[in-house]
Amino acid sequence: MIAALAFYLFAAILIASAVMVVTARNPVHSVLFLILAFFNAAALFLIAGAEFLAMTLVIVYVGAVAVLFLFVVMMLDIDFARLREGFQRYAPVGAVIGGILFLELLLVVGSWSFADQAEDLRLAPITGDVTNAQALGRVIYTDYVYLFQTAGLILLVAMIGAIVLTHRQRPGTRRQNIAAQVNRSGSVLLEKVPSGAGIATLGIRRPPEPEAEKPKVTHEAGHGHGGHH
Amino acid sequence: MTQPLLADYFPILVFLVIAGGIAAAMVGGSLLVARQKPNPEKLSAYECGFEPFDDTRRRFDVRFYLVAILFIIFDLEVAFLFPWAVSLGGIGWFGFLSMVAFLGVLTVGFVYEWRKGALDWE
Amino acid sequence: MAMGGTTEMTIGLAHYLTVSAILLVLGIFGIFLNRKNVIVILMSVELILLSVNLNFVAFSSWLNDLNGQVFAMFVLTVAAAEAAIGLAIVVIYFRNRGSIEVEDISTLKG
Repeated sequence: MIAALAFYLFAAILIASAVMVVTARNPVHSVLFLILAFFNAAALFLIAGAEFLAMTLVIVYVGAVAVLFLFVVMMLDIDFARLREGFQRYAPVGAVIGGILFLELLLVVGSWSFADQAEDLRLAPITGDVTNAQALGRVIYTDYVYLFQTAGLILLVAMIGAIVLTHRQRPGTRRQNIAAQVNRSGSVLLEKVPSGAGIATLGIRRPPEPEAEKPKVTHEAGHGHGGHH
Repeated sequence: MTQPLLADYFPILVFLVIAGGIAAAMVGGSLLVARQKPNPEKLSAYECGFEPFDDTRRRFDVRFYLVAILFIIFDLEVAFLFPWAVSLGGIGWFGFLSMVAFLGVLTVGFVYEWRKGALDWE
Repeated sequence: MAMGGTTEMTIGLAHYLTVSAILLVLGIFGIFLNRKNVIVILMSVELILLSVNLNFVAFSSWLNDLNGQVFAMFVLTVAAAEAAIGLAIVVIYFRNRGSIEVEDISTLKG
């Protein structure tokens, strides 16, 4: 009873927010409604018993993918009014095709039933004595090891592709060279300085200045360093 | 079916209600209790010239975007780690090595992005 | 196990399939509606993949078979990678052309 009510509530919000995603005037609102849709879909997953997927949906989709969409919408200042030209023109075509598709789906769903052997053909029955995440883990990494490795390769390709596409090396920027920074020696001198004493009175050496600093000065005036005569 | 499952998530509902209540109380309390003296001077630019209220639609740097993409990838990697961690006792060495291979593939990508300088902020 | 044999207040497989069919149709409708805006088209694709996941989870739950959830997990992975790369292409395209209109994107080929 409560599950049924919750299902209807979440399904209604899910569909309403999906409608708003595709029709919202402002893409930022679209992204925010997409986040709402993901939350409600996660709740539907929960009602169907897929706890781990529900949490993954919230973490990965709301936490990362929707934020990425938000980034892109905010990052590019796009003339969104111009992009909505033809909104009315395309709507009837889309509505007709969507309606036909929906009718076909209803026909398929309405005239279809499970095979008699469906119960016996289960590959990984849900036993119910372990948690959902544990049951998933027992299947993914052993029975579906190839798919799992393929998922890793897809992630690798996505990572490399994203770097190749968006990473630019700007010429002339200075980068932090951590190894050189850590390894440098001789330029930092630690000495115990009593309060009130000046550098000159203590005779603290300054680090030797690099030779190549002022070649011009040595040419014009003869004084200065010993070299270049 | 799965009706008992919903009862397990009742504490989360309680948390949500409490969090919403606290948030509403904070906003509503500051609306009700605080003294409100609107003044056009409060909305004018202060000394250095920043407008106190500005359009939030300002452009981000693309580098934020690269960081966000890399975050998605590693987020998914961690999502795959959770079921592995809780079921490690039942899947044996094969499952362990399968995850090691998965992590190895992603480490290749990590080394690549490190060498390319995608993690540096210039 | 028979479909549609649900009593009035319990949620059956048909409910889930209907919701997911509506989501799929809305996603396709969104692609038609926002023909010029690649970002909203990508969001519509996310909706379509979400409806696929909903189907997987519903069947997994009603057949008591975990495989549906495993596949939904992989669909999630692929969808996230797709969103990342798709948006990267959008960003690059915007940087080069200054717009994200789909009509212009056909100049990318060749």
